[in-house]
Amino acid sequence: MSLSPPVADLVAAVQRADSALGLLQATQALAASAHPDGAACLVEVLGFNNPGAAVAAVDGLVAIGEPAVATILANIDGNNYGARAWAVRALAGIGDVRGLAVLEDALGQDIGPSVRRAAARGLGQLRLAGLPADERGPIAARCLAALLAGCGDGEWVVRYAVVVGLEALAPELRGDPDGTGAILSALERLSRDDPDGASVVCLRAALALSRLDPGAALEATDG
Amino acid sequence: MAGDPITEPEALRRLRLTDDPSAQYYAAWWLGRNRSTHPDTVPLLQQALRQRRPRDPGAGVEENAVARNAARALGKLGASATAAIPDLLATLDDADPGLREAAARALGDLRAEAAVAPLMARLASGPAVAGAQEPGTPRLQEPCDALLEALGQIGVADAVVLAVIRPFVGHERPLIRSAACRALLQLTGEAHWGEQLVALLQHQQLQVRRAALMDLGAAGWRPALEPIAATLAENSLKLIALRGLAEQPGASARDAGTVAVLDAMDALL
Repeated sequence: MSLSPPVADLVAAVQRADSALGLLQATQALAASAHPDGAACLVEVLGFNNPGAAVAAVDGLVAIGEPAVATILANIDGNNYGARAWAVRALAGIGDVRGLAVLEDALGQDIGPSVRRAAARGLGQLRLAGLPADERGPIAARCLAALLAGCGDGEWVVRYAVVVGLEALAPELRGDPDGTGAILSALERLSRDDPDGASVVCLRAALALSRLDPGAALEATDG
Repeated sequence: MAGDPITEPEALRRLRLTDDPSAQYYAAWWLGRNRSTHPDTVPLLQQALRQRRPRDPGAGVEENAVARNAARALGKLGASATAAIPDLLATLDDADPGLREAAARALGDLRAEAAVAPLMARLASGPAVAGAQEPGTPRLQEPCDALLEALGQIGVADAVVLAVIRPFVGHERPLIRSAACRALLQLTGEAHWGEQLVALLQHQQLQVRRAALMDLGAAGWRPALEPIAATLAENSLKLIALRGLAEQPGASARDAGTVAVLDAMDALL
């Protein structure tokens, strides 16, 4: 078994990198460590306008997970669009509820379809299991409201991601007949017809409906 | 991208402003993007197409830019734009190669069988003439990729059509090879054309990998599913390509092949 170099050395290598390739490789090495002490440096890389390194940094932040969230949120840069987009992806991948407001804003307002797409996916997979019961309901309701609004997005790929988000959110709302009903009727509508002729969105919505077992879910709304 | 939000009547009003090409340019784009079905839309776009004139590269948003957007918009309007096919066919002979390209793509989008013979005529001289570089520019003599793609999209698989396309599979530019393989795959369904496109997904230039992704998506060739998912390119483009694989005639959320495509798309979001 080989020992990985201390995180401080990996961070120093990122800071020393003087070429795009060097930055990519140093970032990959730091990301692979998945060490919380590397989070601040990885967040910094998101703002370097180097897409390859940014992808690696997002992977690293997702691998670090929850301990990286505070650092990401504290460094969201309203003026650097690219960095903000990568931060949204990292938050979506980690699934920590502290990212909720950023994901809501991103799905509702971001100009980049790839950012809205990542936010929609993220809103369906926030990790709510560890929270007190009285907090889970309101958070799931906010995710649902944001995703339902996203059904009308102008880009097919965002509507597709919204469908995926709704399917992933559904188990969280199992005890909530209104919420479950809202998910099923939105999926039902999208499965029939896509406003922009993207039949892939209809296919995905039909798949989501078949997986959610609409028969059983309808009983819940009837009760 | 979206520009300022305007209404359909406003777009139609702007398209009538023949002394304001930049207003017309946006209006033509808007009407196509929003799939306008207003009875004035197609006639006005036909007029905008006829407004073209010899190129004047110094003139900013010039009339030919309006004509290009009008051609693209007509291509997006589907059956309601069939009345404009003769205008688009005439535009295929324009001296402006950008306009020929836009007309070819629109005729492909409209599945205009009347365009097959003129498209073939533009390509008939083969890679050595139609596909030769125009001196002093990076362009080819003809917009070969657009002409090839239109033939594939229109879908007339006669032996004479295939014979015109086939030589371009050996073109020196990988983007032209990709367009030729795409058309042949669409017309014949033969796997070896798809395999050549899959090989281009490994090309060292990102631009070529992107084109091969789009071409496999346009052909909807499902054996390319895994190679597409593994290509070194943006997820946004892979998602567009996979959408093409998913949206096949008869596709259903109940068949395993379609579900496999959707699962791969989910993983790229």
